Formats: sequence, C-alpha cells, structure tokens
Amino acid sequence: MIENSKCECGHQNPVGTVLCESCGKPLFEDSQNDADTPLEMRYDGVARRSQKEDPAIIDRIWSFFSSVKIAIILIFLTLVGASLGTIFVQESTLINLKTTEEFADYYEETYGTAGLIYHALGLSRTYESWWFVGLLVMIGTSLVICSLDRVLPLYRALSKQQIRKHLQFITRQQVVYTGRIEQEPEAWVAAAAQQLKRKRYRVWQEGSALLAEKNRFSRWGPYINHIGLIVFLLAVLARGIPGWHMDQYVSLYEGEREPIPGTNYYVQSDKFNLQLYKDEELADNQKGTNVVKLYETKAKLFECIDVCDDPTKEPVLRQVQQHAIHVNSPLQYKGLKLYQNSYRQHIRLISVHPSLMDTATGKSFGSFDLMMDNPKLTYDVGPYKIRLSDYYPDFGFDDQKRPMTKSREPNNPAFIFRVSGPGITGEEVYSYFPLPNASSKDFQESLNAAFKEAGANTGRFTFKVANMFQQGKMEGVKYSEFSTFLNVRVDRAMPYIWVGAAISMIGLIMGFYWQHRRIWLRIDDGMLSLGAHTNKNSYGLRADVASTLGKTGITVTPKELDNRRNVR
Amino acid sequence: MNDWLIFSSNAFITAFALYCASFIAYAIAVAGKRWSNREPAAHTARWGRIAFITALLGWAAHLTFFFTRWIGGGHIPTSNMYEFMTFLAMAIMFAFIVVYLIYRNTLLGAFTLPLVIIIIAYASVFPSQVQPLIPALNYVWLKIHVTTAALGEAFFAVGFAAALIQLIRVVDLTTTDKAGVRARRWTEFCLVIIIIIIGFLAAVFIFRGAGYHAEFRQESVLIDQQGQAQTSVKEVKYGLPPIVKPYNSDVISMQPFMGLQQPLFEAPSWMNGVNAGRKLNTVIWSVISGLVLYGLMRLIARKPLVAVIHPHLTDIDPDDLEEISYRAIAIGFPIFTLGALIFAMIWAEIAWSRFWGWDPKEVWALVTFLFYSVYLHLRLSRGWQGTRSAWLAVIGFLVVMFTLIGVNLVIAGLHSYAGV
Repeated sequence: MIENSKCECGHQNPVGTVLCESCGKPLFEDSQNDADTPLEMRYDGVARRSQKEDPAIIDRIWSFFSSVKIAIILIFLTLVGASLGTIFVQESTLINLKTTEEFADYYEETYGTAGLIYHALGLSRTYESWWFVGLLVMIGTSLVICSLDRVLPLYRALSKQQIRKHLQFITRQQVVYTGRIEQEPEAWVAAAAQQLKRKRYRVWQEGSALLAEKNRFSRWGPYINHIGLIVFLLAVLARGIPGWHMDQYVSLYEGEREPIPGTNYYVQSDKFNLQLYKDEELADNQKGTNVVKLYETKAKLFECIDVCDDPTKEPVLRQVQQHAIHVNSPLQYKGLKLYQNSYRQHIRLISVHPSLMDTATGKSFGSFDLMMDNPKLTYDVGPYKIRLSDYYPDFGFDDQKRPMTKSREPNNPAFIFRVSGPGITGEEVYSYFPLPNASSKDFQESLNAAFKEAGANTGRFTFKVANMFQQGKMEGVKYSEFSTFLNVRVDRAMPYIWVGAAISMIGLIMGFYWQHRRIWLRIDDGMLSLGAHTNKNSYGLRADVASTLGKTGITVTPKELDNRRNVR
Repeated sequence: MNDWLIFSSNAFITAFALYCASFIAYAIAVAGKRWSNREPAAHTARWGRIAFITALLGWAAHLTFFFTRWIGGGHIPTSNMYEFMTFLAMAIMFAFIVVYLIYRNTLLGAFTLPLVIIIIAYASVFPSQVQPLIPALNYVWLKIHVTTAALGEAFFAVGFAAALIQLIRVVDLTTTDKAGVRARRWTEFCLVIIIIIIGFLAAVFIFRGAGYHAEFRQESVLIDQQGQAQTSVKEVKYGLPPIVKPYNSDVISMQPFMGLQQPLFEAPSWMNGVNAGRKLNTVIWSVISGLVLYGLMRLIARKPLVAVIHPHLTDIDPDDLEEISYRAIAIGFPIFTLGALIFAMIWAEIAWSRFWGWDPKEVWALVTFLFYSVYLHLRLSRGWQGTRSAWLAVIGFLVVMFTLIGVNLVIAGLHSYAGV
C-alpha cells in the first residue's frame, strides 16, 4: 500500500502517519468513518518505527512483536497458563518424590484420572515448562520492541509541536469548544494564557493561536514501567549465571556443625528453641491445640581459613557470624543467607557420661565422656584402660543374625569396650547401650551374658551412667531434642530484581497519577476554536477548560465540552 | 476478652448499622427522584449528601473498630479471614470516598455500599475472635503487604461497582436483536450471582441464629509419601442442614429440618479437599436460597431486575461511568502492584527465602495483575472502550475475589492460614 503522505501544509510524513506531524490534519479521511468522530490520538498519530513500506523478514518479526494486540494475546496466554498451574500441586512442592513414574503415580492416586492427565500434559511442571518460559521470553521481547517502536517517534512528535494546528485537528478532539469572541483576539488569547499558567500549564502563544501543555512527563511512565519490567525479567534470567544462585538445605541437630556444600562455610546449631502459645492466649476454637509462637535456631557461621580440603585433618575455622535464625529473620553474611525452613522433634543423643562400676558393690572407678559421633578410641578411667573395639550407632541384626548398624544416626547406639588394667588378664569385653530404655538394657545384659559364657569377660564391670535421673532431670546425658532444617541461599540477582521492580513502580506512578493534558486554540475571524486532549482523565481536563473559559468571560459547563457526547 | 475488644466489636456493629442506613439513603436518593412534589436534582443532592455523611460516620466507626481491635489484640487485625475481609471492606469504603470526592456521583454510593455490606456480612461468617500470630505472620511486613494489597483491590472493587452500573445503564430493554438480548441476560446473570451470595449469607446466618448443627464421622484414606495407605477418621461439623454428606461418612448427630431426616446425597469421591462435602453442601444451599430470593424479587417486581434498576440510571452518561470505572482501576493498579506483588516479593524473600515460588496465592496475584494489564492495554484499542471494558472490569473483580477467597478455600498452599 503506497500512500501519498504529504500533507497540505507541505510536511512530508513517514508511512503510517495518521495525523500530520506538523499541523495535525487527519491524513486518511476514509479510515475515519465520518468527520465528526473524535480523532484517534494514540502516539499523537505519528508513524511507529515498524510501519515500513517494504518490510524485510527482520521487519516482519519486529512488527509482530511491536503489536499491542500480540502483547495482549501473550499476556492473556500467560495468565491462563499460570492459572492452570494452580489446579493441582506442582511437582516442585513434592520434595520426596524423584522419578517421573513416582510423580505420575502420585497424581493418579491423589487426584484420579484428572491428575493423571494433568501430569501427562506436563501441567504439573507448568512454570518450568518450555512453553511457559517461552511465553515469558516473548513478553520480554514484546516489551522491548513495543516500547522502542513507540517511544522514539512519540518523543520526536512531542518535542517539536506546532502551535497553530489544523482546524480539523482541533475540532475533532475529545474536548472541544467553538464560539464567537467579541474581544480583540490576541488580547483574549493572552488572558486565557494567563489563566492556564495559573493552572500550571506551560503555554506557547503564536498570534491568535495557543498551545498549553501540562505533565508531559507522564507520557514516559509506561515506557519507564516497561524498562523496569525488562530489568526485572533479565535479573530473573541472570540467576542462571553460575555462582549467582544457590538453593540447598542443611539439617542440624542441636550442637551439630556441618559444612555448607559448595562453599567454605560451616554452620552450627547451638540450640533450637520452640515456644508454643499458652492456652489462655489462644482463641476459643484453638484451645487445646499446639499453636507455635516462635521457633528459632541459635546458629553460628564459620569460615574455613586453613586445611579446608584435606579430609584427614580437622579444618581450621573462624567464627564470622552469629544469629538467632527464625522465620522472617535469616542469618546473612556476604550474600549468603540462612533461613529457618522447618524443624523436626527428634531426640538424638549427643554424648553420655558413663561410669565404670563394680557390678557387685556398685562402686564407681571413675567416669568418662563418650561422644556419639566420632567417639575416642581409648579412655583412662581410674586405674583401668578402656579401648573402644566396635561401635554400632544404629544397632540391629542382619539376615544372619550378626550385629550391624542400620544407619550412621545414633538411634540405638551400641559400644563394645575392651577393659584392661590391674587384676585383669588380657582384656575383658563388655557391651554398652547408653539409651535409657528397657530394650537397650535387655540388649546390654544379654550380650554381656553371652560374652561371659564365651569367656570374654568375668562380669566384674558394668558401664552405666550413675544417678541418671536426679530431681526429674537427666544427668550425664547430652541430647538434642530438635533437628532444624535451614535453607541456604545465595541470590546475587536480587539487587537487580529490586531495581527493576522500583523502576517499574516509578513508571506506573508517573503514568497513572499524572495525566498529560494539552489544549490547542486558535481564533479565526473572531471565531474561537478550542480542542483539548488527555490520555487519561478527560473529566479533569474538561474542568480545566471550563474554568479557563469561565474566567475569560465564556460560561460553559464541563459536560457541554465533551465531544463524544455531542456526537450522540 | 478485654475492654478494648468489647468496645471494638460494638464499633463494628455501629459501622455495619451506619452502612446499612447509608445504603437506604442512597437507595432513596436514586429511586425517589420521581416521587411526588419533588425536584429530582434537589432530591438526589439532598439524600445523596445524607447518605454520604452517614457513610463517612460508618467509616469512622469502622476505623475505630480497626484500631481498638489492634490495641486490644496486640497485632494489626489483618491476620485471618475475618480480619482481612473487614479490612477489605474498610479499604473499599476509603476507595469509594476518594473516587466520590473526585466525581461526586451518587450512584457510585448506591452500588458500593451494598458491596461493602455483603463483604462485612461475609467476614462475619468466619470466627471473629482474635487469634495469636503464627511465626510467619509476626513481622512488620504483615502491616505493609496486606494493607497495600487490600487497598489496591479496594479500588478495583469501586471500578467493578461503576462498571456494573454502566452495564445496567446501557442495557437496552426494548431491543430484540441477538446481541441486545444477550447483553441483557448476562447483566441479569451478574445480579443473580450477587443475590446467590446474599442467599448464602442469609442461609448461614438464619441457621446459625437457629442453632442448627449436624455432625458426621468421615473416614478418609490417604496415601502417604512412603506409599502406605493411612486411614484417618475426622469429625465434620455442619452449620447448614446436610443435603449432601461428606464422602464415606456416617451421621453422628443431625437435627431434622423440614422433613429432612437423612442427607439426600453423598459427596462424590473425587471431592477430596479439606471439608469438600461441607463446602458442596454450602454451595447447594447458597444456590437454593439465592434462587428463592431471586424468585421472590421477580414475583414482586414482575420484570427482570435489570429492568427495575435501569430506569433510575438514565441521568448519567455511560461514558462518565466508564471513566469512573477506568479511573478507579488506574488508581488501584499501581497500589495493587506495589502491595500484592512487590511488597509480597520483599516479604517472601525475607520469610520464605525466595521472592517468588509459584505458590497458588502468588500465582493468582500475578494473574490479577496480568488481567488488569490486559484491561489497561485493551482500552488503548478501538472498540474495547465502553461495554466491553466494563465487562472486563467485572470479570477482573471476580479474579480479585477468587485470589482473595477462592484460593484459600479451594487451593490453599502457603497462605492457607488465612483460611479460617
């Protein structure tokens, strides 16, 4: 389609121009139905970057993404896709399941056939799916191209505006007034200019023509908002840069210290603290239930400063941070953040303090500290020497009824000691089960009896924590009551995400809380023609025009100025 | 309950009564124009002023309720469904006052006030006692995030009210062409939905007032993460006569109601959400009582409700209504973005270690944002102003309500504590 885009005022307009860039005369009469309808004032009627005479393939892609219609379709598809993802739970929330089959089974068992279809369609991984990420990338592209396509021509159009506009341009605005002026034209225009300046309009006068403009900056709001959104989306993508994003979990019992994988930091839980609300603090429908008031991990962060990579040696650590981590209050150190994720009530032995006793008299020869993790191999107790020969942290029997350990967790620890010293020929073998329960006691007694039968001991000694229960408290036993789960995070993109969000917000506020208002007027042979335009809030613009006219001697209600109404 | 809380609940009742009075005054202002010996404009202005002042007084009482409950409860009352819905109603009143002061439109009050009254009544369905904060909520961002998000949504609500007036305003009662009839039917359908919600409230409060209750023992089998079947037995309490009983359950106790001795149906097995049977029963009751209510209204009016309301709206232009609706949404959009997305992300980053996790509530806040983005962009196109954009504003508010209520009742997720 080749059009003659030269206006009668002599200005050569680019292809696609709707309103002459210079005088504002509508260039296509045929596309404008009838001459009374208000003008299409989008982007001031200038041609967009994408409107070219002879598009190449790259221009076609550009023009595809530059279409607001396409942008709306993309947003709508994203909206529908995102909401589909909330019908059933997403796979990412089911942390215990791994394989596709497990997930498929889970969805079928939990949601029936619908669940099976949901999983088969891939909707259980909506937000990681190629099509959803693809939509977001396309929205990003559309944001860039739509903005560039419009902001530059619009900037050009707004920075060189003609003051005297074509009469058709003026009389076909959304807010219009025509009427006879009895006064001397230039004097009247000067008086109107004075009134408009009071309303904080910038005013340009050219003989009997006038242009008044206010809040032009608000036109840039949408573009600033889009820039913010682009920064935001890029920051989200940047999380894929190696080392920019880390997300892992550490489980710690009280007193435990663990390295944080992939870093040279160690984290230690000194104490886990759980508080429940008292019954009188609860509402009636909550009474008798446990409502958690606070849970926190008293944590310390260490940095390894020497011998970090040698597994045979203890690393040299330096404490760098200390914090009571609770929900809403993570530990932070140089971009590393440790969050309270959850906890588990779970008794775990840390150490016991048993005594070596004379079985017959109950007399103690002395006591020693016995750790459940990495116990020492030898102990000196009174005159005796004790050697740890076997340790089963989680004692049990295998298929052939041989003792074994089921895990490395001290759920049911069993120690086999060899005692030597005065009055003992060679070594005597004893078992010791430190857990204070009946089955441990049975195990210990039957094993020791078996050793005695085999001639490995004389039954002279007993290992036991002396006076374990004193005034209702456990003595000589250290244990952890809670395991805490901490979420370790590094997210180097966060600052950019916040910057993007802030820019976007500034753009939104600029665009929505101020409105660009323009008023054109000219007097031809004592006949005043006034047109005014705003992209938002024409109500406010009508009030401005009515009050300006009122102060210069023309009484008119804001409603009468509305061109849309006059048409009907 | 301490003195502050007693005072607070009295202020709440006062606010509710004043809102009702304000609504009546608005109805008189709009409907009474053609009463005998009256100058229509003067009548509307006079009663509109009375209504607005009553609404302002109601809002003052509402604010009193809010702050005394804050003092008495020790934390900002936005932490459960009761508190949030009452706050939302207060925010809608604020948004209404702002928009009213810009446009001075009496009709807006006549449509916003009933919306506020319905939301307050809905809030009262939930237990109103102050509950102590769970650790995740015990943070300064509870004050910031929830209030700004609600305020943004409140402006959307005012936009919805204006759009609904616009739709009733543009309905052509005489036309017989397809599009006109369709527009009429859908607008009437909107009103039916609102009446069903009123029916729900009526059913809940009538049976609660009568002290009705029934109880069921429901056995449910859950497959745990190890693949083991776990059977659990729960007691399900009903406040409405059970037309539908929970799936796989037995009656423990049930008061007969109008010859209803036994539940008529059992909920289907695929409805296995939390209290699915009871929710289904409530929905059935809402539809029944809503339709009865609607039927009564039709009997009295002897014409569609749209035709009852339409004649009272003729002295405002649809263009003005569209502008009010658009303006309210344009004011609300940045506030909503700030509160429901940006502040939400900041808090999520502090509390849950990630700024975004595709939690259902987060997704639906995004869906709301995207929907209103579509609305704002579509309005740039020719042909999407007027009635079409009014429909978008109505649907948008449905999305908002689903985000606020539907997600908590149907989907749950991390925001599930806000359910009760």
